[in-house]
Amino acid sequence: MRKYHLVRRADAKIQRTLIYYGIGLLVSLGIGAILLAALGINPFEYYGRMLTIGLVGNRYGYKSIEGLLKILVPLLITSLALSLSFKMRFWNIGGEGEFLIGAIAAAIVAFNSSGMPNFVTVVLMCLAAMLSSGIIGVAIAALKVKFNTNETLMTLMINYIMLYVIRYLGDTKADWNFFLREDSERPIFGSFPDSAIMSGIPLGKFKLLWSVIIAILLTVIIYIYLKFTKQGYEISVVGDSSATAKYAGMNVGKIVLRTMFISSALIGLAAALTVSSAGTISDTITNDVGWTGIIVAWLSKLNVPAVFVTSILISILQYGCQAAATQYPAIDVNFADLLQGIILFSVLVADFAANFRIVKKEEAKNA
Amino acid sequence: MLEVLTLFLFNIIVYNIPLLYGTTGEIMTEKAGSLNLGVEGTMAIGAVAGYLVGAKTDSLFVACLVSFIASGLVGLLFSFLTVTLQANQNVTGLTITTFGVAFYYFIGNALSNSQGGWPKFSGTALERQSQAIHIPGLSDIPFVGKALFSHNILVYAGIVIAILMWLYFKKTVPGLKLRAIGENPGAADSLGVNVAMYKYIHIIVGSGIMGLGGLYMGLNMGGTFEGSNCWINGYGWISIALVIFANWNPAKALLGTLVFGFFNTLRVQNAALAYTFPKTLGWLTNIPSHFFSALPFIITLLVLITSSLSKKNKSGEPQAIGRNYYREDR
Repeated sequence: MRKYHLVRRADAKIQRTLIYYGIGLLVSLGIGAILLAALGINPFEYYGRMLTIGLVGNRYGYKSIEGLLKILVPLLITSLALSLSFKMRFWNIGGEGEFLIGAIAAAIVAFNSSGMPNFVTVVLMCLAAMLSSGIIGVAIAALKVKFNTNETLMTLMINYIMLYVIRYLGDTKADWNFFLREDSERPIFGSFPDSAIMSGIPLGKFKLLWSVIIAILLTVIIYIYLKFTKQGYEISVVGDSSATAKYAGMNVGKIVLRTMFISSALIGLAAALTVSSAGTISDTITNDVGWTGIIVAWLSKLNVPAVFVTSILISILQYGCQAAATQYPAIDVNFADLLQGIILFSVLVADFAANFRIVKKEEAKNA
Repeated sequence: MLEVLTLFLFNIIVYNIPLLYGTTGEIMTEKAGSLNLGVEGTMAIGAVAGYLVGAKTDSLFVACLVSFIASGLVGLLFSFLTVTLQANQNVTGLTITTFGVAFYYFIGNALSNSQGGWPKFSGTALERQSQAIHIPGLSDIPFVGKALFSHNILVYAGIVIAILMWLYFKKTVPGLKLRAIGENPGAADSLGVNVAMYKYIHIIVGSGIMGLGGLYMGLNMGGTFEGSNCWINGYGWISIALVIFANWNPAKALLGTLVFGFFNTLRVQNAALAYTFPKTLGWLTNIPSHFFSALPFIITLLVLITSSLSKKNKSGEPQAIGRNYYREDR
């Protein structure tokens, strides 16, 4: 017979969870340090350079902040969007695909917008992206609700189908293909006209893009939506138990459809803001936010303020690795992914330690 | 003219057997009720570990062994996190992919920038051992002989693994118990099956099989590290799709590998075919290669929808897939 078994802790304290997460983070950085040292690189110097994202001793420090924010905005919005669907236990892992659909829709508006006012164009880009991504989300949710089609695998397939759609657009020279540059023999994605470029508030040399302000506002709105509105409450009930929700008289199907629309539309919005800030589109425009967003949402336990903080940390990690790569050619941005993976593994262990305890059999019987 | 067709058939097999490894490995995992989305990463780790140690020892056998063990360890990590620590399977699997592919690049970049560089493949015993074996007699059959019976050892091994796995599920008691766990772990547990142990063993073995597929891909690429593309290059994801297409049946995975491999080869060779048969196959050049790349995923999407639409439950999908089993929740 097994001598030990697991018992779920009745008192999951936030302090304990935070301490365990902190230990997990330190252990991960420690493993990363060992890997760096194995390559003959001083881990303290590397981490120092990474965590300061190239700000120290840089005359163009504001550029670092702008670069960081460009990574942060899509990641933050996508992670928030994914948290919404995960809260219902709806496994939307199609962030990549939904992002690409939004990016293509926004680019269609952008490429045909020359002469239109900037504000109108950007708003139209956002609406087009939100609508097209949202429709895909609803379609998958409808199949799930009506026929119990496996949403994890469905959304996974969408990711790859959309990847080849955008590659097709980028590789096909044809009269109809307005996505490409006309003056180039080789197929290259064109640049947006000025009307479709995200503007911002200049603060000295630094330009605070509107997309950043929108992302922060969205964080607040989603926090309020989940915490204080009836719809937000319904999401958490469905996530806890769809049977309970049904007995309480909720229309579970409607809640799933509505939430998936919001979730995918938000990812579409993230895409529109990203392409508008980048001024172009490409098959790597997602920067893997569909995948990284899942890790961020999970590290944050689907809690909105935590998603905000985690997105910033992961963005620093990613941008920091880019910045440090100029100094350390043997280590490129993939080191950020490697660390992200190790951090998530350690946090999963930490999460377990915070929520379960191991007891001996006899003790459990007495309890 | 016939040579083009023979080559086409030959390429379907030689370039797509890694899919069979990935798929059979994932079928074994999913039959235990666990959805491991880390196939891509598991294959990447098996490939890089197996290739590097194999090149060092200059032995294909060692390469296979190491890649099986390295990927098996990734499977152990997945089982530990999801079976013992009850972590979410989707998130754990996806993280294994992120981690594994990043590990591949980390090692790759580090070696490329080091003094010795990436270990050579051409002219080694490893290369000789992974060359095609001509089965006497059979490989001399005109047209199909070269296509079917002159492959490297890993091709035959992959086919044998698929058949053995099919027999294991169908004919043996442990196979039956495994399928019971995938359908209803609570019921299997109440009959005295050690659910956790079964899950651990099959996830680890399944991951090990994926790793062999990864190693095969590395050998296919001549073992050269390419900075822009990972050796695995999406085959792990196609394998996950292929599991659905094969309806969780290792024998059907053989057929599925040929079907998906057919499109994959068509993508590369459509020009050659169109050139050789301009009258009948000339239209092939009008189809963009991206369409063939997307086709496995489109087909799988349609299979997913139609199988959930049909009332009859003939699907081989394990009922408890993706859900963790925690005794106290029963």
